[in-house]
Order: sequence, then structure tokens, then C-alpha cells
Amino acid sequence: MAAKINGPLLKVEDLTLRYLTRGGEVRAVEGVSFELEQGQALGLVGESGCGKTSVANSLMRLLPDNARLAGGQVWLRGEDIFALEEDEVREYRWRRVAMVFQAAMNSLDPVYKVGQQIVEAIEAHEIEGTISAARERVARLFRLVGLDPALMDRYPHEFSGGMRQRAVIAMALSCDPAVIIADEPTTALDVIVQDRILRELKAIQQQLNMAIIYISHDIAVVAEVTDRIGVMYAGHLVEYGNTADVFRAPLHPYTDALLGSFPSVTGERRPLAGLSGEPPNLIDPPAGCPFHPRCPRATQICQEEFPPQAWEGTQWAKCWHPMNAGAEAPSDVELEAASDVGIVEQSAHGEGG
Amino acid sequence: MTGYLVRRAGQMVLTLFLIITFAFFLVQAQPGDYATFYALDPDIPPEVKQQLRASFGLDKPLWEQYLIHLKNTVTGDFGVSFGHFPRPVMDVLVERVPRTAVLFLSATVLSFYIGFFLGKAIAWRRGGWLEYTATISGATLFTVFTPAFALMMIWIFAFRLGWLPVGKFLDPLVWRHADVSANYVFGQMLLTAFLFTAFAFLVLYLLKRTGRVGLARWAGPLIAVGGVAALFVWSFSGVGGLALDILKHMVLPIVTLTLISFAGTMLLTRNSMLETVREDYVMAARAKGLPEKMVRDRHAARNALLPVVTSLVYSLVFAIDGSVIIEVVFSWPGTGLTLLQAVRTEDLPLVMGAMVFIGLFSLLAHAIVDVLYVYLDPRIRYQ
Amino acid sequence: MITPPNYPGIPGASPGTPPGPPDLDVGNSRFRLALARIRLAWRSFRGAWSIYLESRIGVLSLLIIGMFALMAVAHPVLMLTIWDSGTYDPVTGYAFGQSQQPASPSWRHPLGTDPLGRDVLSQLLWSTRSEFVLGITAALVTVAIATTVGAVAAYYGGIIDAFFMRLADLIIALPGISLLIVLSALFKLNLFYLALVIGVLGGFGGTAIILKSQALSIKVKPYIEAARVAGGGHFHIILVHIIPNLLPLSLLYMMFTVTSAIFAEAVLSFLGLLDVRMSWGIMIHTANTGGYLMGGTRYWWLVVPAGASITLLCSAFYMGGRALDEVVNPRLRRRHD
Repeated sequence: MAAKINGPLLKVEDLTLRYLTRGGEVRAVEGVSFELEQGQALGLVGESGCGKTSVANSLMRLLPDNARLAGGQVWLRGEDIFALEEDEVREYRWRRVAMVFQAAMNSLDPVYKVGQQIVEAIEAHEIEGTISAARERVARLFRLVGLDPALMDRYPHEFSGGMRQRAVIAMALSCDPAVIIADEPTTALDVIVQDRILRELKAIQQQLNMAIIYISHDIAVVAEVTDRIGVMYAGHLVEYGNTADVFRAPLHPYTDALLGSFPSVTGERRPLAGLSGEPPNLIDPPAGCPFHPRCPRATQICQEEFPPQAWEGTQWAKCWHPMNAGAEAPSDVELEAASDVGIVEQSAHGEGG
Repeated sequence: MTGYLVRRAGQMVLTLFLIITFAFFLVQAQPGDYATFYALDPDIPPEVKQQLRASFGLDKPLWEQYLIHLKNTVTGDFGVSFGHFPRPVMDVLVERVPRTAVLFLSATVLSFYIGFFLGKAIAWRRGGWLEYTATISGATLFTVFTPAFALMMIWIFAFRLGWLPVGKFLDPLVWRHADVSANYVFGQMLLTAFLFTAFAFLVLYLLKRTGRVGLARWAGPLIAVGGVAALFVWSFSGVGGLALDILKHMVLPIVTLTLISFAGTMLLTRNSMLETVREDYVMAARAKGLPEKMVRDRHAARNALLPVVTSLVYSLVFAIDGSVIIEVVFSWPGTGLTLLQAVRTEDLPLVMGAMVFIGLFSLLAHAIVDVLYVYLDPRIRYQ
Repeated sequence: MITPPNYPGIPGASPGTPPGPPDLDVGNSRFRLALARIRLAWRSFRGAWSIYLESRIGVLSLLIIGMFALMAVAHPVLMLTIWDSGTYDPVTGYAFGQSQQPASPSWRHPLGTDPLGRDVLSQLLWSTRSEFVLGITAALVTVAIATTVGAVAAYYGGIIDAFFMRLADLIIALPGISLLIVLSALFKLNLFYLALVIGVLGGFGGTAIILKSQALSIKVKPYIEAARVAGGGHFHIILVHIIPNLLPLSLLYMMFTVTSAIFAEAVLSFLGLLDVRMSWGIMIHTANTGGYLMGGTRYWWLVVPAGASITLLCSAFYMGGRALDEVVNPRLRRRHD
């Protein structure tokens, strides 16, 4: 691994992304900022369509043709990745940032042997001189992720779901990337396999001292394996902090609702609170805080102005009325008004969510 | 896989049997029978007529006639051609079928290659001028009235420019003093083409087996050396000029047939490719930092190939029909022209023979495509 | 005209029912149901139409088809008004007053005359009508057969399915033009028989396979299960629920069948194998057998109008079908811009 230049390994600042569609401009990512150190694990959590996969794709420089970078910068080891030329991008992908794809099922090409597909990446980046050396490397990676190296010459359809997921992890590791992005790495798997693979991935990450970004809609999954957590809503990073802190005392009502929608086995008993309503339309997002139509604590100001960061130690949330006692607590009147808004919105949106 | 191939062969035999049966009942359904046809022909002497009647079993009950028909067809005995009397139908066809095969095979391979290449290019860059030009000209060529188009090609390249001969298989002036038959020279040409193709595949296969990237570079030059060697042998064989004459006559029909049939493959590839470019593995290939060309060719196009090969059956049938028309317009003495002449002279045995051969042709092509598919898609190969 | 497709399955509502005292209440609700269905169909048609109009090639091909339809109508009108049948009849007419035949275009004969002294424009217009009749007959036969076969094979599965699919495989592997050439040797093929043969071949062939796979995806939809639970008979479900949902795709394959029918007719006529009095193919056949084609551009009016018409109309139906494909098959639609 190259020596760290001053500053964090990965720095995302004010990342803003738009998609041009028939219906209008989709404001997919809005001013997202975070940092990542070597060996750290960050979780990005949110409902589908909140922009977390768009953030991941920007980090890979892998955006669809209709995407437009509207602002912000991303530095990897002090290098501005949006300034890279075409062939530098090719060099950058996988070598610097690799990805464990959302659907491992489909991210392996069905017509090539699994080993061949990894060798292909190694060849493209000239990590090894000869094919046999590349194959040797794949065999080592297979052992690392718990696969029999003999499986290299099998086709993807001969693999089980868990095996494919391991193969995809091996593929992501093949070029010694500085950062690995795991986009819903285990969603398609059954719970037991899911848990085992997550733990192994964490072990590998710690062993190799890599930085990793987990992306998931399932906050419970992310909580097990990350140090930091970022919660995204409607393209905004609405809360950020140490995983333990966020879990224990969320600041943003949205985080609270997300936590409430998953039962906790070890934690205290609490009623399961689902989220009412649907995420907003990102072509025409609501004014002010985008969460206000669904927020039980929303007041007048939430509809008018985007909230500033409210800090609590190293943890912050973009909210006018953060959840912890230290921040200004809304009065009873406001709460009542807020719940009215909530009800109105709920009936307006029907049973969605 | 062996099981699949055996099953496929079984199906082929069954289909061939159905075609033969169909041919029999077609003849039964039309007014009159073979005997009436032969009876009407003043060229055939009465004792031969009698003999023919017996060989078709025309005095026997229908089911026995059917069995005789089956046996005759399977043994390749289609009777005596009426138009080419006294040559047997089989004799005529053995001469004609290879000529069609060459026309058909070269045009099919060429048009598939061109169609696939253009199709993947226009799917990869949508909305460009290439997409519009290729789609419109492709569709026009695909739906163009083939005979008129073929005549136009003859007019341009043979009459106006004078680059190529007008039609037919060979130029009698060139062959006036030749002491070998056209069939012999053509047979030698086929043999050469076959050996050369086998050599090319062998080179590619052996170089790939070695597993060294650098060696693949030598495939092109090696194959070229093989080609030059073949040309060298031919130019000293004494019949090189004659072969060249046949080649010259082949160019225009093959080009025309290629032009009218590449569009089908092109449009299919485009559609199929538009679906594969959205697949996750294409995104993954790009994420791996592969060059765009590799993402396109090795991943998107390689998978887009599968449905295209599946529908190759349609293209093959289209090309068979196309080659019949082309043969007629270019007076290329293959199966198609033979069929048409037989139809015009009501040479029923030859019609049936040609039809069975065209059916056999399309069945074989079909089977080859199936085997190719099995080879291309590992999910089927290892079932 | 849009007919609600629900009558035949409902007992007592079939068109053959003798008129009795009308059951007002039931009739009324049924009428409303029909109205609602028409409205729904209209709305989805409008949606599809607007997508179709986005395709430039689709609109262009529709315009071309419209132009040919006008041409088809124009012939009887012209014959009734300004053309006398002695001179302008496409088959028996003779253009007197020309020094030689074929005569080049003039005011009296805008596209000249053919080697037999007949007016080429009149032949062209007259043939347009028969091409439409041929193409549409063949397409209707194909679609009627393919939709039924597809729906039945998908619904019942098993041996029925296997039989029809093997049959389709067999027909696909048959080169159609060659088969038609053989048939023309054995039987006298006129336009109607030709349309029938092409329709039957298409209907039991590839179209049936495609419609069957579509029908299979419809068969597993919840409303089919609901209809079955509600006591709908097999016949009712196939007729009311499966077939109407196959219609958009059927329409698509109708377009393609029209292309192949017109093409086949032209080729067979060109080869002189059809029992047809006049058609575009025959026009070229006449010119070709007279040896006028190798004169190059000198006798262009003998081959260009007919050849261009065949190519244009075929490609118009073909491209129209492809544009329709993008409507029926949303995966092909372009995503942006």
C-alpha cells in the first residue's frame, strides 16, 4: 500500500449529482460530504432511491451517460478523481476503488469461467506479468474468501448464491484497491450465509487494513461491521457519526424511524415504528427539509428552510429538531402540530412506505 | 451434451421423414400422378415408361407407393429427370448442390459477420448518424425486392463498369480448350477452401492452447502464409486460370446475397445488445477498468450473440430463399435454378428431389446452429 | 371499430341469442362494463400511439402506407372519371397513338407504357389494391391462427403445446419461397390461395412460438387465477383474458406478415409462377422476359416504379412493425433525450 499523503484516504466534499431524464432533472445527490481513513469501515444507509448507489458510482467514476456532476469534489489520497482523463479513469477503477456489486448473481458474466473473469481484471491492470501468475493470484484470493481454488474453472451458473458472493469479493480484492465499496453485498442471500459472509468480509478488511464502504438499506446489517455510519435521505446525508453513537442515540428523526423499523434482539424493547409515506419525488423535492412531510416533529420552519448541522460530540444531523435532549426540544404545541401534519401527509400518501 | 446431440440428430431424422412424407402427399394431392406426367412426354420411349411406372409402384395400393417413395428417397433414387432425360435426378443434383452450398455458405458467413459487427456498433453508440444510416439502409436492403436489386447489381457491375461477368457459372471462351471438367476444378477449389479453413482453425486453436498472450499476435500472419501457399500451389496447377474464372463468376452473386441478408442479423444484434448493455456484468466489466472495446466485445456483444444465434434459423431460411432468387437472376446453376427450371418444365421428379435437398439443407443448417449455440452458451453445454 | 371482446364467453350474450325481452338491469351494467372497457382500451391506445409517434421512422412508414392506400383508391376513381377503359385498362388496354411500345413517359401516360402498350401508371395503381388485399388477408389468417395456437398451447401445455411447437419448428426450418415455388408447380396458385398458404405457414410457424411465450407470461398473472377461481371456463379465460392481451403483439406480427406476403407475391410473379393478371411482380416479369432490363436506365419506367413500390411498401410495413415493437416491447425504448 502506498504511503498516506497528508489528509484522509478518501475525502468527499459537497458531492452533488443530477440525472437528466424525460420528466426533468433528478436531484439524486445533494451536497454529500464525508471522509474515510485507511482501515476504516463506513456504512451508508437509506431507503432505495436515496442516492447511496449514486454516491458509490461517483466514487467509481461509473456514472450513466445522463448523469451530471453539479458540484463537489472527491479526493483519493489527495488526487481529485473527477479531474482524471479517460484512460486514467480506466487505470483508477478497480486499482484504487473496487466494488462488490449489489447483485452478485448478475455481476458475473455467464459465459466465462469465474477465474477467467478475475484474471481479466488482473491483466487489465498489469498486476501480474503472466497468465499463470495471475491465476496463482486468483487461487490465493479464492482461499482468502473461503473458496476452493479448483472452482476457478467453473462457470457462474455452477456456483451457489453464497459462492458467487465470495467470488465477487475475491474479484474486488484482486487489484489491491485502497477502497472497497460493498453495495448491498448480501441482500440476495439467506440470513445465515449473509451473516457469515459479512463477518468474513470484515475479517478480511481488518487483516488487509483496507477502507470499506458498506451500502445498504438495512441499518442492522451495516451496524455490525462499520465504525462510522451515514444516513441518507432524498440525496442528502442527514446524519453522520460513530456507529455506536448513532445506534444508541440517533439525532435525526429519520434515523430514529429507520432504527425503529428493525427489531433489536439485544437492545431494549420498544414498539416497532414503521415509516409512513414515501420518499419524495427527487425531480421536485419538497422545500426546506426534504423529510418534513413524513416527520413527526416537523414544524413551520422545516417546510421553509433546509436545516443546519446540529452537533452532538462527533455526531451530527441536519435537522431543526434533533432527537437528543441536549438540543432544543420542541414544545408540546409544536409536537401536536407536527403530528397533525404527519396524519395529513399519511392520508395523502395512502399506505405507501 | 452427447445426449443433447443424439436427441437433436433424432429430431432431424424425424423432421426429414416428415418432409419426405409431405412431398409424397403433395404429389398425391395434385391432379394426375407421375405416370401421367411421363405419359405426356413424347421423348421417353414406351418401355422406359413402363419401367418407371414399376419403379414408382404406380400400380400398387397407396400405402405401398408411400413405402416405395420412402425407400427411394432415402436411397437417393428420385427417378429419372424429365427435363434432363435420361439423367437420373440424383445425378443432376449431385452436380448442382455444391454450387448452391458455396454460394449460400460464403454469403451467410459474410453477412453474419458484417451484420453482427454493425449491429453491435450501432447499439453501443445510439442516436449517431451510423445508427440512422445503418438502420435505414439495412432495412431497405432487407426488404428490397431481391430480383430487382440483383438485376441492378448486374447492370452496375457487369454492364456499366464491366468489372465482373454478367452471370452463369463460367465463361465458355475461357474453357474452350480446357481438358478438365468444370466439376473437377470446382471440386478442387472446394477442397482447398476446406483445407484452408481447417488450417486457420487449427492455428487459432493451437495458439490459444499455449496460453501466452503474445503468441495470439502470430495467428494472422500464420494464416496468411497458409493462404499464400495455397495460392502458390494453384497458380502452378495449370488450372488456375479456370479456377479464377469460376471465382470471378462467384463474386457478384455472393456480394448481392450478402447485402440483402446482413440486415436481419444487424437489427437483431442491435436489439439484443441493447438489452445486454444494461446487464450488471457489463457494468462490472467497466468497473473492473477494462477498456471500452473489451467491455463491448468480450462482454456485451458476446452475450448479445446468444439470442442472435438462436434466431439465426430465420436468417438461414431467408438466405436459402435469397439464394434461390439470386441463382435464378444470375443464372447460377445451383439447386435453386434447377428447382425453378424443373417447375417451369413440370419436371416433377426433379422438383421433388430439389425440394428434399433444400429441406435437407435447411435442416443441416439448423442443426449446425443448434450445436454452435450449445458451444457458445456454457449454461446449456454442461447440463 | 372497437368491439368489446367479452361477449362470446358470457352465456346468453352471444350474438346468436334470439331476441327476447331485454333484461334491462343486467343489460345496462353489461353495457357500462363494455363502455368502461372501451374507454380503457382507448386510453391505452392513446398512450401507445404517442410513443409510436415519437419514432420518426414509424411515422414515416405510416405516411408511406397511407400514400399507397390513396393510390389503391385512386385507380377506380380515375377509371370512372378521366381514364377510358380501352386505353387505360391495366391488362387489356392499349395505348394507341404511340409510335412504338414501350413508350416513354408523356402527359397522356405519366409513367409511359409497357412492351404490350399498356399504361404503366394504371398497372401500378391497380396492383396496389391487390397487394393490400393480399397482405392483409395473409396477415389476418396468420394472426387468427397464431393467436389461437399460442393461447391454446400456453394455456393447456403438455402434449398440445409440444405438438404445436414441434410443428412450428418444422415450419420455421422450411424456406418459404422455395416451398411456394414447388407448390406453384403442382397447383394453380392465385392471389387468394397464395395469401392462404402464406397465412397458414406464418400462423403455425414462428409467430405462434412468439405469441405462445407471451401467452405464457399472461397465463401466470393473478387475474387469470382470479378468473379461474371465479368459475371462468377454459374457453372463457382464453377468449376473454388471454387473447385480448395477445393482440398488441399480434398486431406487430401482422405488419411483418404483410411484408413477407407482398414480397413472396412479387418474387413468384417475377418468376412467372403465379396465376395473377397483373401485379408489381408481373410488371417486372414482363419487362425482364422482354429483355428490357439490360437496357439499363433507358427503359427505367418499366422497372423502377414497380420495383420501388415493392421495396417501399415492404419496408414501410417492416419499419412500421419495428417502431411498433418499441411500443409493445418497452425494453427497446430509448431511455433519455
